[in-house]
Amino acid sequence: MEAHELVDVAFSVNGSSVSVSVPPRMHLADALREQLGLTGTHLGCEHGVCGMCTILVDGDAARACLLFAVQCEGAEIVTVEGLGSPERQHPLQEAFSHHHGLQCGFCTPGMLMSSYDLLANAPDHAGDDELPEQMSGVLCRCTGYRGILAAVSDVHGTHPDGVPGPRNCATRTLVGRGSGPASSQAPSGDVPADEVRAAAPAEVRIPTGAPSATVLVTSELRSPIAAVWEVVSDVSRLVACLPGAELTETLPGDRYRGRAGVALGPVKLSFEGLAQILDRDADAHRIRLVGQGRDTGGSATQADIRLHAEPGPDGGTVLRAEADLFLSGRIAQFGRALAGDVSRRLFEQFASAVDESARTGAVPDVRVAAPSPVRIAAGAVADAVRRRVRALRARLRRR
Amino acid sequence: MKAAPFAYVRPGSLDDVLAELAGGDAKVLAGGQSLVPVLAMRLGRPATLVDIGSVASLGDLAVTDDVLRVGATVRQRRLERSDEARAVPLIGMVMPFVGHRELRSRGTVCGSIAHADPSAELPAVASCLGATIEVAGTGGRRRVPAAEFFAGAMTTAATAEEVVTGVEFPVARPGEGYGFGEIARRHGDFALAGVVTRVRVDDDGTVLDARLTGFGISDTPVTRDVTALLDDESGIRDLAADVVDTGGDTHGSTGYRRRLFTVLATRELQRARRNARKERP
Ligand SMILES: Cc1cc2nc3c(=O)[nH]c(=O)nc-3n(C[C@H](O)[C@H](O)[C@H](O)COP(=O)(O)OP(=O)(O)OC[C@H]3O[C@@H](n4cnc5c(N)ncnc54)[C@H](O)[C@@H]3O)c2cc1C
Ligand code: FES
Ligand code: FES
Repeated sequence: MEAHELVDVAFSVNGSSVSVSVPPRMHLADALREQLGLTGTHLGCEHGVCGMCTILVDGDAARACLLFAVQCEGAEIVTVEGLGSPERQHPLQEAFSHHHGLQCGFCTPGMLMSSYDLLANAPDHAGDDELPEQMSGVLCRCTGYRGILAAVSDVHGTHPDGVPGPRNCATRTLVGRGSGPASSQAPSGDVPADEVRAAAPAEVRIPTGAPSATVLVTSELRSPIAAVWEVVSDVSRLVACLPGAELTETLPGDRYRGRAGVALGPVKLSFEGLAQILDRDADAHRIRLVGQGRDTGGSATQADIRLHAEPGPDGGTVLRAEADLFLSGRIAQFGRALAGDVSRRLFEQFASAVDESARTGAVPDVRVAAPSPVRIAAGAVADAVRRRVRALRARLRRR
Repeated sequence: MKAAPFAYVRPGSLDDVLAELAGGDAKVLAGGQSLVPVLAMRLGRPATLVDIGSVASLGDLAVTDDVLRVGATVRQRRLERSDEARAVPLIGMVMPFVGHRELRSRGTVCGSIAHADPSAELPAVASCLGATIEVAGTGGRRRVPAAEFFAGAMTTAATAEEVVTGVEFPVARPGEGYGFGEIARRHGDFALAGVVTRVRVDDDGTVLDARLTGFGISDTPVTRDVTALLDDESGIRDLAADVVDTGGDTHGSTGYRRRLFTVLATRELQRARRNARKERP
């Protein structure tokens, strides 16, 4: 099914068979809310963390925001509307109200569906000792959980072998909200707004504040220091050694425009950026540059990079790369320690490319995979470098 | 946050899946519990998602004398509830820590291994036990030992045009005991540091060998033979200094992770040794 085509999907919701017509990228929570008018399923984060959108799919609790409606052909879905009606509340709903388990109520549908799943499918794990952990998949911002846990514990006590089934599942006609699928999707042929290229920043700003990650990589190169310095101090060769990077324009004031891509599993980022060399000390073999880039997805990175070459053992060179990385936008949420590990891996590949370039005088081909974004750590080169770096690290520590 | 537009296909056979993946900018969609957040945050925007959910031949879950085989579409919660999983006790210990119930309902075992998040538990289990990962491509099938599969953060020996069709975990042998521990900011979150251990003893309780895998501490799971370190706390501290190389982040410095690793490794090796003795007939 093409990206802009609408797909007909038939499934059952709260006991009724329904059919919706959705673009592939519409998640189930939106289909339920916008196409079927079932607004009891709430949305918070839309990436699986908050649990607001929890519903039952084929009897098990699942995140409706992490499931595309097109995946649900033939599925049996139960939402909070199916759990009970105002006239015939489910015991869990009664208990939530009795124990004051809700304040603003925004998390309540997710809490109800998650606790229903627990009591129906895993009652052995619903004891008071395990309950807080078991309910940690849904976040509440108001009640401090105590009422919620008391309510679930209460129902578990009265129904130790499993709760009664949903009380409001019956064949009925679901009436959509009318907005329909067309408004949620640009008509095919139009370029969606998010296709617009990220504009490269106009000036380089030196990052301040605490970095998101600091990377320090020391690599032992076989080439002599003079040859290494020749590569490092020549921006076009330097950039050619950086996996996935490309120099597009040389500007006055030791400033450069370029592009860099990173691919990691499903993550693929392409940055348009600007870099400036702040400091070049040929005698000390030190160079400092700052760069910043922006991705189409709204992620931004800034980096303050110091490279330092020193004579190494056996006529080789020890290349030290130190970088402070500043991440913002979506990439920062995803970051964890990953950003540092990935950058470290990049620097290791960079060092091996510098070595090669210094040895052969040629521009290395670090474009492991076409098109431009490079699969990090593909192949033996990286691993060999890595082993060497590990060994070196261990040696440095022993000293 | 909404995913950018993509084309969606749900082939019915493995050959068709491989044909869809060949050449184009396509990604496998298994449980979607890691892929969909990436799409929603627009950190990735593949042109096509190839849903493997309808390939019947990928849904096997079976145990033989030697291995527990988990097919590519087997969901984490299905494995967790299955009788087959008892053949590999570590799976039972680890599964409750793989995200939350609501995520395990959809997330697959092989998806977690294919995704190769360095903080994920199942790749660490696969590494510690020496599991085998089955990979299929248009050029044929191959079997990759876990030790060679994890190449870096979210990077594996499988290419973008290949599919992980299943994973084989060796079943437990008499005299084996296991440990698992992790420190996360809240239950179900990715670990700041974690370890998986396996100790083998003979009939007299003498330790034959001990293995340990750390995760969340480097860009891949790191497995070491630690037979000589069972009662050597300073040896474990040195090991931590050697294997914990993930840089610091807002949740903890490298030094803090080394400390966590040391405490967890010491504790979980002893636990494994105790279990091993108990299980010895
Ligand atoms: C809030 C949250 C918390 C989480 N916490 C944890 C946690 O604590 N520990 C943990 O381990 N995980 C955690 N996860 C991740 C979860 O376990 C995922 O289910 C799992 O990592 C990926 O499995 P999946 O089947 O959902 O794969 P998908 O999301 O469908 O795919 C993930 C990646 O792997 C590729 N892929 C999947 N299957 C295959 C295959 N068979 N062959 C080739 N490539 C494949 C996809 O193309 C994609 O690149 C968490 C997720 C969320 C949203
Ligand atoms: S909206 Fe689905 S988990 Fe937050
Ligand atoms: S009652 Fe307000 S978020 Fe839980």
